[in-house]
Amino acid sequence: MTLATAAHAPEGGTTAPAVRIRDLTVVYKTPAGELPAVSEIDMDLPAGTITGLVGESGSGKSTLALSLLNAVQPPGRISSGTVEIDGLGDVVPLQGDKLRRVRGGQIGYVFQAAQNSLNPLKTVGKQLLDLGRSHDVDDLRALVSEAKELLGRMGLDGARVLDSYQHELSGGMRQRVGIMLALVLNAHVVVLDEPTTALDMITQANILEIIRNIHAERGLTTLVITHDIGVVAEVADQLAVMYGGRIVERGPVRSVLGEPRHPYTQGLIRAIPRLTGDIDQARALPGRPPTLGTIPERGCVFRDRCELRMSVCDTVEPVLERHADQLVACHAVAGQEPDGGAPTDDGQEQT
Amino acid sequence: MTSGAPTGLSTTRGDLRRNFWRGVWRVLRRKPSRLLGVALMLMFVVMATAGPMLYQRPLPRDPDNFFAPPSLQHPFGTDFQGVDVLSLVVVGSRYVLLTAFITAVITVVLGTGIGLFAGFRRGRLDAVLMRITDINLTIPGLPILLVLSTVWQFASPWEMGLVLGLLGWGALARAVRSQTLSLRERGFIEAARGLGLSTPHIVFRELLPPIAPYIAMNLLMSLILAVWAQVGLFFLGVMPVIGENWGVMLNRAVFDFGAMTTAARLPYMLAPLLALLLLTVAIVLVVDAMDEVFNPRLREE
Amino acid sequence: MKGFARRLAGQLARGLVMVWVVLTFTFVIISIMPGDPVRAEYENLLQQGYSPEQAEAQAAMLHRFRPTGSVFEQYVDYVGSLLRFDLGQSLYSRVDVATVLADAAKWTVIPVLLGTVLSFGLGVVVGVYAAIKRSSKLGDMLTMSGSLLRGIPDFVVGLLLASIFATLWPILPRQGAVNILYEPWTVEYVLSLGYHAILPVATYTISAYGGFILAMKSSVVTVLGDDFILAAELRGMKRSIIFRYIARNAILPLFTVFALSVAAVFSGAIFIERIFNYPGLGMLLIDSIGRRDITVMAGALLLITVAVIIANIVADLFYSVIDPRIRRAGDRV
Repeated sequence: MTLATAAHAPEGGTTAPAVRIRDLTVVYKTPAGELPAVSEIDMDLPAGTITGLVGESGSGKSTLALSLLNAVQPPGRISSGTVEIDGLGDVVPLQGDKLRRVRGGQIGYVFQAAQNSLNPLKTVGKQLLDLGRSHDVDDLRALVSEAKELLGRMGLDGARVLDSYQHELSGGMRQRVGIMLALVLNAHVVVLDEPTTALDMITQANILEIIRNIHAERGLTTLVITHDIGVVAEVADQLAVMYGGRIVERGPVRSVLGEPRHPYTQGLIRAIPRLTGDIDQARALPGRPPTLGTIPERGCVFRDRCELRMSVCDTVEPVLERHADQLVACHAVAGQEPDGGAPTDDGQEQT
Repeated sequence: MTSGAPTGLSTTRGDLRRNFWRGVWRVLRRKPSRLLGVALMLMFVVMATAGPMLYQRPLPRDPDNFFAPPSLQHPFGTDFQGVDVLSLVVVGSRYVLLTAFITAVITVVLGTGIGLFAGFRRGRLDAVLMRITDINLTIPGLPILLVLSTVWQFASPWEMGLVLGLLGWGALARAVRSQTLSLRERGFIEAARGLGLSTPHIVFRELLPPIAPYIAMNLLMSLILAVWAQVGLFFLGVMPVIGENWGVMLNRAVFDFGAMTTAARLPYMLAPLLALLLLTVAIVLVVDAMDEVFNPRLREE
Repeated sequence: MKGFARRLAGQLARGLVMVWVVLTFTFVIISIMPGDPVRAEYENLLQQGYSPEQAEAQAAMLHRFRPTGSVFEQYVDYVGSLLRFDLGQSLYSRVDVATVLADAAKWTVIPVLLGTVLSFGLGVVVGVYAAIKRSSKLGDMLTMSGSLLRGIPDFVVGLLLASIFATLWPILPRQGAVNILYEPWTVEYVLSLGYHAILPVATYTISAYGGFILAMKSSVVTVLGDDFILAAELRGMKRSIIFRYIARNAILPLFTVFALSVAAVFSGAIFIERIFNYPGLGMLLIDSIGRRDITVMAGALLLITVAVIIANIVADLFYSVIDPRIRRAGDRV
């Protein structure tokens, strides 16, 4: 892939690859045996869309994101399932040099803003060159000018940023550098892990706008992981809500936020005054999310915090079923609308 | 000292203390090596306190038996005068352990005092104290001790311990200061001030207890350093080779009686060395156990 | 470069204070030394028929202060001449102290540097390995060996090595720096130099290596957990580049360990040269103390102090060259 094509990325997302996750399970090795952090997840990232993935810490959302790059860190491992990306095939069996080239080359990953994702001892420019060399870029000069252009579009002085060390950049600047590094090699699938955490409100808005713009310009397929439902409301087209290693609800952002069906999604939205408009109506979700060791083996993972708990929730795990625009995994919701829809093709019962 | 109980941590409540001892016992039982460490430690303490009383002075000589090889009667053989080497080791332990203990106490008192004071007061005084600490840390201690020995013989453990303690407090002072500063950052001092507590109360009741475990471990570690420093000093032979201690034995064995050139005389040198190594191992094992008592996070493994 | 210059100035100021402390210390020692050696020298010269002026000048040349002055005058004279690097003559051999020190220094500096560099290299490599394999048996054992070696002082290492390789299995020489029968700089002479240096250098290496392993291991473990390493992996950086990132970041804290170990190494040299009868600075210090050759003694102490200060400054310079956070501090806002 040459840089010339990178500069003139296709508009409209017609050629952006889609990502298909099927039956993905990721387990972590603990003294109590291998425990699943992500259980039998099916999910699509439609080409050219921004998908938001929301969940509390420990819900498995970061693990799911890392699986997209087949980069789950030990003691965790992908125990089953496939992650298919158009043009690449399944990334789960990839290994060694092949896998390395996919990372950064085809799939860009942007770290959480609070994390230091740059080597403190090298300037951004030198790390950019290291990146180019790692991916056998012949024309390093073109790479640098591409990087400068990207940084310029994000409102930074490219030459100056490339000559800076990490400690000389602010949080918002670092985050833009991270986005630049993820895109400069012309990756078309981009994962943003908590892109605005630890940034102030103005910088947050700024970064979100950059994400939107660049996404549209380059026709990317983007996954934004966040615990902040407001972030998703601003940038995403699709929304998936994760709880206890499972996706409990997903669908177009407007319908999920406008008419949340799963009691967990409803709780999440109620907890945010920004979305409900009235701070008196904001209500924190009672209880705590499960950890690796406390995820129940059978039944619904959310039942302990659920207002609509029924006896069937203790024994049978609900599967994603279509209700209007969205897919919801909840017995209570299914019971309210017995004819809400047939199970979807990717939501077959597996227990 | 015998079972790793830090003196600074004694609480007034009986049940807390009982829980603490139960924790100590659990930690010791988990690794037999730790029990061994405590046992060795006890053995050395008994050796240093009661041991010298077991032998008549001067130590009995066997004039027909110079440099005898190890036997049942003399487990480590005899020295150049036919004196049993084991008895020399036992008698010599008192100077070594007492000096080490005095050194460790002085190190801890000075290091903790200066570190706490600097971290508590901050400002210019802190800067001055830390410059002094830097000098204490970088100054070449051993050469200075050697030069000092031209006018001072360090005949008693008290003198030796005082000098070693005065030279060795820097590292602890630095560590205690940074711990004090981090407690300050967490708002400890401001909160205590806000409650109207007096400065001595803040220093001794609020600041000292959280860092006491660290200090207790440092006390043990500086015991090791003090043991080796004084033995090394006597071993070099710069100071008059008199008195009963392991360093003097090593010096005689190596430089006067050719323990290094004649294989048959090696046991004379190895006996004090073995005692030193065992003492070091004992202290390291006790420190290891203490580490786990005070840092329960490690217990889970 | 402003921050850098300030650091250097601070280091130099601290060094000067240390030199002053050491000079004052030796002056006090010489003044209270039993038998008042300076006065004794003066009276000795008078008895040999020198005039009081001649005797005073002669004694002053030896000791750097006049025997008849007040304590304060003596102190000013003494510190003043030593700060001008005027160290006087050896009372024992009447050779200039500077010459005596220079002769001895090469026997200390070369083996010490060799041993330190060897153990640094070995410690860094083994430390990295122990960090990467930290959950395996072998990694555990390497870490254990580090803790064990750090707990054993250098003179014990020296004694054990000597008793194994020079006494029980005599394949290496135990005494001296070279076979004096050989003509200097012939092949045999050079070989003999190397042969005699094996045990001292091995002792330096082994006794310093434990500290380096442990420091490197904990440093690498810290860096491995840093976010930027995972970030580099997720950007598909080459292994070799990631390894360089780890190495450079992990080695940084070791310069502090290195600087702190210099003073310890000079202390070690005293033991090691005594055990192997090696004619370096440590041996010189011990001999001069034994002979009450106070000018050489003071000179050796001063030189060791200055060497420790210089080593600290050099390590600090290295540190700031390699770490941009210090190098560029104060240059930008």
